[in-house]
Amino acid sequence: MTSRRNLAPYAFIAPFYVLYGLFMVVPIGVACYLSLTEWVGLGTPTFIGFDNFTDLARDTSFHKALGNSLIFILVSLFLVVPCALLIAQLLNTRGLRARDLFRVTFFLPMVLSPIVIALLYSLLLDREYGLVNSVLRALFGFGGADWLGDPTLAKVSIGFVLLWRWTGYLTIFFLAALQAVPRELYESAELDGAGTVRQFTTVTLPSIRPVTAFVVVTSFIGAAQLFDEPYLITGGGPGEETLTVAQFVYRAAFERQQFGYAAAAGLVLFVIVFGLSQLLNRLLRIGRTA
Amino acid sequence: MSATRTTTAPGPAATRPTPPHRPRRRRSLPARIALYGTLGLLLLVFAAPLLWALSGSFKPRGDIFDYPPTLVPDPATTENYRNLLGGQPFWNWFAISVVTALTATTIAVFVCALAGFAFAKYRFAGKKVLFNVMFSSLSVPFAVILVPLFILVVKSGLANPWFALIVPWVAPAFGIFMMQQYIIQSIPDEILEAARLDGNSEFGIFRRVVLPLLRPSLGALGVWQFLQSYNSFLWPLVLISDTDQYTLPLGLNILFRAESRAFDLVLPGAVLASVPTIAVFLLLRKQLLEGLSAGAVKG
Repeated sequence: MTSRRNLAPYAFIAPFYVLYGLFMVVPIGVACYLSLTEWVGLGTPTFIGFDNFTDLARDTSFHKALGNSLIFILVSLFLVVPCALLIAQLLNTRGLRARDLFRVTFFLPMVLSPIVIALLYSLLLDREYGLVNSVLRALFGFGGADWLGDPTLAKVSIGFVLLWRWTGYLTIFFLAALQAVPRELYESAELDGAGTVRQFTTVTLPSIRPVTAFVVVTSFIGAAQLFDEPYLITGGGPGEETLTVAQFVYRAAFERQQFGYAAAAGLVLFVIVFGLSQLLNRLLRIGRTA
Repeated sequence: MSATRTTTAPGPAATRPTPPHRPRRRRSLPARIALYGTLGLLLLVFAAPLLWALSGSFKPRGDIFDYPPTLVPDPATTENYRNLLGGQPFWNWFAISVVTALTATTIAVFVCALAGFAFAKYRFAGKKVLFNVMFSSLSVPFAVILVPLFILVVKSGLANPWFALIVPWVAPAFGIFMMQQYIIQSIPDEILEAARLDGNSEFGIFRRVVLPLLRPSLGALGVWQFLQSYNSFLWPLVLISDTDQYTLPLGLNILFRAESRAFDLVLPGAVLASVPTIAVFLLLRKQLLEGLSAGAVKG
């Protein structure tokens, strides 16, 4: 009986580790092997050592993709996350009416399929027919902005879509954290003469640190592997102005049949994301069991 | 009273009557206007594109781009829907998406609850390491396994939607983490001990005691997983080349690209595609929103 009880937890976690091994560990191993080869998807891969990596280091498209991914990571961390916290703060106001309506509506974009979002924003941001330009034209007499075709505006547009899609999702985490802050802390801070800003920095921020850590790390990982929005809305364009690393990998493998090169680019992303997120985890101490 | 006390600060003074600090009360009307104004504006920003798409889907082709935009289509027509459903294999795509997502969801919920239970309620050798391995798999970007996974699945002859859209995704680490947090909070050890004394096996305890108690969080994880599967794009995009086996996002993507400016066809598609997720979300929103936050708050 005791031995069965000792074995039970292993049996319970076994399905996860079997799938983890088959669909995570093995593919990463295969990626490592492929990254050292040149392969068009047919025949046998040719071993070429670290050539893929040295090529990547010289590939301006890859630099561009890394830079763009970095921009979208920064947008997520320094725009989406703070906006989510701000909205959560508003929603946490005592006695707020219709809190559930706000919460649900803000969350709604997250529920939609990326293709639906892409479709919507392609329509709204269309240079000639788009509603955004129509409104600008009606209000200010200017509405010729090429939202998806101008190098800077295309990045701005994708950034806005990220903001629109993810803010409400992150708000949920912050709101829960804010609601868990003991009210007495604010009261004693107020008795000590702390104003709204002081209360925010001395009470709110320290209290929600674990959730902030979680949100920051997951946002970082999500943004680093961004694919759907730029692929669907701008196709990575104009030129390569919104090309991300995930798109670079996809393009190399499935449009140019450079499987080895794609695997190498994927591994570079893996090392960066995994390394940095482990570092962040350590620094912020998240996901520890009690 | 709570309505008149609304302030933009996170409600510090609101629990107890605190006589000396009263300026807030006088500021409360403008503050309230600012608060509801901001939230209302945000509501518009979040909801307007959706309402506009919904209304556009009922407009004749020529009216969709009319300015100023009208919310209520006039004349309203269901022709777009009839064209879409009559001329495209929409229901095929829809069925593949829904069936694969439901299957993946059912299995994932079970696998995650089981593993979450083990991590929450048992002590065993290697637990910490195994947990960290599981947890750190969250930070593996999909792009790194995209190519090798594609090759493995194709080489092993499993590149059909019924396997490849389901099986690799039925054990998300996020789900295990979420379940573990939930179980720690909501299942007391005494219940498990009592069930053991009653002669239940360990799996019997999971099935008869734990699962029923977990129902709300299973709902949360279920919605989350359904959204992930149903909305996934990149993996189906590389995997499926046969249009008959397309998932809904792939089908819409093809329509969107091929029929240039056929927004009268794509808009109803977008609306119909969103029905399952929005319905599931609205029905189970309480569980989902609370389930998501329960996981993180403790972490």
